[in-house]
Amino acid sequence: MGMADVTLIDAVTMALAWELEHDPRVVVLGEDVGVNGGVFRATAGLQARFGAERVMDTPLAEGMIAGVSIGMAAQGMRPVAEIQFMGFIYPTVDQMINHAGRLRNRTRGRLACPMVLRAPFGGGIHAPEHHSESTEAIFAHMPGVRVVIPSSPARAYGLLLAAIRDPDPVVFLEPKRIYRLNRQSVEDNGKALPLDVCYILREGEDITLVTWGAMTYETLKAADRMAKSGVSCEVIDLATISPIDYDTILESVEKTGRLVIIHEAARTGGVGAEVAAIVSERGLYDLQAPIRRVTGYDVVMPLFRREMDYMPSVAKIVDAIQETLD
Amino acid sequence: MTTFKLPDLGEGLPEAEIVAWHVAEGDTVKVDDLLVSVETAKAVVEVPSPLSGVVRKLHAAPGDIVQTGAPLVDFEEAAGAGTGDARQRAPAERPAPEAPPEETARADAGSVVGSVQSGGEILEETAIAGGRRRRERGRIKAAPAVRAQAKRLGIDLAQIEPSGRNGQITAADLGAFQERARRPAPRPAAARPAAPRSVTAGESRTLRGPHRAMAQSMTRSRDEVALCTIFDDADIHEWVDKRDFTARILRAMVAGCAAEPALNGFFDPETLTHKMESRVDIALAVDTEQGLIVPVIRNVEQMNLDEIRGAVGRLKEATRNRTVTPEEMVNYTITLSNFGMLAGRYATPLMVPPTVAILGTGKLQHDVIAVMGGIEVHRRIPLSLSFDHRCISGGEACRFLAGVIADLEKPR
Repeated sequence: MGMADVTLIDAVTMALAWELEHDPRVVVLGEDVGVNGGVFRATAGLQARFGAERVMDTPLAEGMIAGVSIGMAAQGMRPVAEIQFMGFIYPTVDQMINHAGRLRNRTRGRLACPMVLRAPFGGGIHAPEHHSESTEAIFAHMPGVRVVIPSSPARAYGLLLAAIRDPDPVVFLEPKRIYRLNRQSVEDNGKALPLDVCYILREGEDITLVTWGAMTYETLKAADRMAKSGVSCEVIDLATISPIDYDTILESVEKTGRLVIIHEAARTGGVGAEVAAIVSERGLYDLQAPIRRVTGYDVVMPLFRREMDYMPSVAKIVDAIQETLD
Repeated sequence: MTTFKLPDLGEGLPEAEIVAWHVAEGDTVKVDDLLVSVETAKAVVEVPSPLSGVVRKLHAAPGDIVQTGAPLVDFEEAAGAGTGDARQRAPAERPAPEAPPEETARADAGSVVGSVQSGGEILEETAIAGGRRRRERGRIKAAPAVRAQAKRLGIDLAQIEPSGRNGQITAADLGAFQERARRPAPRPAAARPAAPRSVTAGESRTLRGPHRAMAQSMTRSRDEVALCTIFDDADIHEWVDKRDFTARILRAMVAGCAAEPALNGFFDPETLTHKMESRVDIALAVDTEQGLIVPVIRNVEQMNLDEIRGAVGRLKEATRNRTVTPEEMVNYTITLSNFGMLAGRYATPLMVPPTVAILGTGKLQHDVIAVMGGIEVHRRIPLSLSFDHRCISGGEACRFLAGVIADLEKPR
């Protein structure tokens, strides 16, 4: 229950350990999560501490990992499955859309599916092919599935606890570029943070910046840069990608009249489009300028030499802010 | 001498098997040269040289299993190597078996997972959980198109009373505001101190009220209208009542409209629509102490001369008392400017779009007229008819003016 300066990945481990210790229904499963402690060390030491029955290594079969988790969840357990990389998550899409998301509806409320599917995602770590995409929109489009993305150690801890305790399936995507980027004082007290709300990282008056995941860092830096020229940016971390907390965004846009959305994912069909659509539908009369998006491109994510060209940079965000203010 | 230890290739795997060495002891290597191929549980990985120098010792042979963090190669570093460029530093110096190799572009190529950047920075943030109730802040609500239109017209939305749903300003609000601004309502005398009739030489003034409206509407007129003006005179020598000017001119305008309806109406340049009105609602430009105001007499076409005279009287009274309301100053079809009270015979009066014509009457004068068999002195009204040549032809304008003159020249 100590207070410690921890990284985002440490916070994930802390939350898993807390929940394994306090809820006997919780199990952790995935490829190399046991003996090796996970490809990024998220589960390091957990098998030694809680045993191989609660921290289970699985075969390299993501569809099975999701399916087994759904089965356990339906029968009263709280599985937390790890997919090594988001690039390997696609075999689970069938399980998540056809079973996890609709179990409650299919059984007319008799069975729920309290599972968490964790996966590192996003670019910027010079990884090989198909290790860098941000495809959160695929899961955001699934009814009955929550999508949650933390952007700081504190939110990784609090939101993962909330995700495990939530009675419905949660896809919990961890921005791996910021796994070890910095440390934050997080109290290991088992206290969850609310799901389904945005987190306002900075309050401002002139423009609203909506982002999530690793892009919160570039966005905050852009906000810092704008502050030097007297522009006050409100920075909102979406945090729960689906369902989206529109009230917070609409309230902010009502105040500022301007909106820039920043995400790493490819532009077309990205979650940013959904945010823009809702603000157009419900906040149009507050807008002083067109909504802008700063996003990845509609191309295959480049390999490491060019990957930073693909990602939204502080400069690109600043440009978009200035165009919106003009 | 520097010892390069087997880095964690990112999988968290404890060991790797040497597949093949690409250098031998005594070889000189440069940074990024291929050093060794190792096989982890995941893949065969090519490990590049972390620095430039001479290979002094290989710690393992092909087929050997090397633990992560165990010595792999001893280097004699080249002079100057490892300084300056951060990319060339470090992996060999890192003792911690779990620490990933420093972020060097080449080293990344040899990693299965990639390289997660580590930082020691302490994050301090005060994140506020959202989901609060929305509150009304009294901000201006207007569609982007309305905002753009307001910007184009130079109108400050804060001045506009919204009429739309949920308190939003509509395009119609903008139009109504503009209409009012063009001919603002004079308020009761007590409500507003009278502006000085004339400015003092050497001072500047910011235009207010009717002056400001005039500046805006005249600018718009100049920018939009293809102005053409025709001059002529009406001989009123035969008039029975010599002083009945305003009412007679208004009646004559109705006669002009009857002769040529094209001038009584509106033009929309967006749709190139020219709309002729059957009602004749004449705006009367009146010079007041507050500046130019333009009240309207409605349905003049339905009035006889007495009724017109009565309407003009009431209008003058209301103008004097400043009780003309904004509603009485909008939506007219044609304008009369009776400017020649002090001086000026002819002018090129400007109409306010979307109307298409304005008739100016100048200072009455006794003119020497050539008549059959000699010369006579007659009183004449100088007429200046401006029309919007975008939608009205010269012929139409002349027919209108001829109709006006014919009616004006009647004895009564």
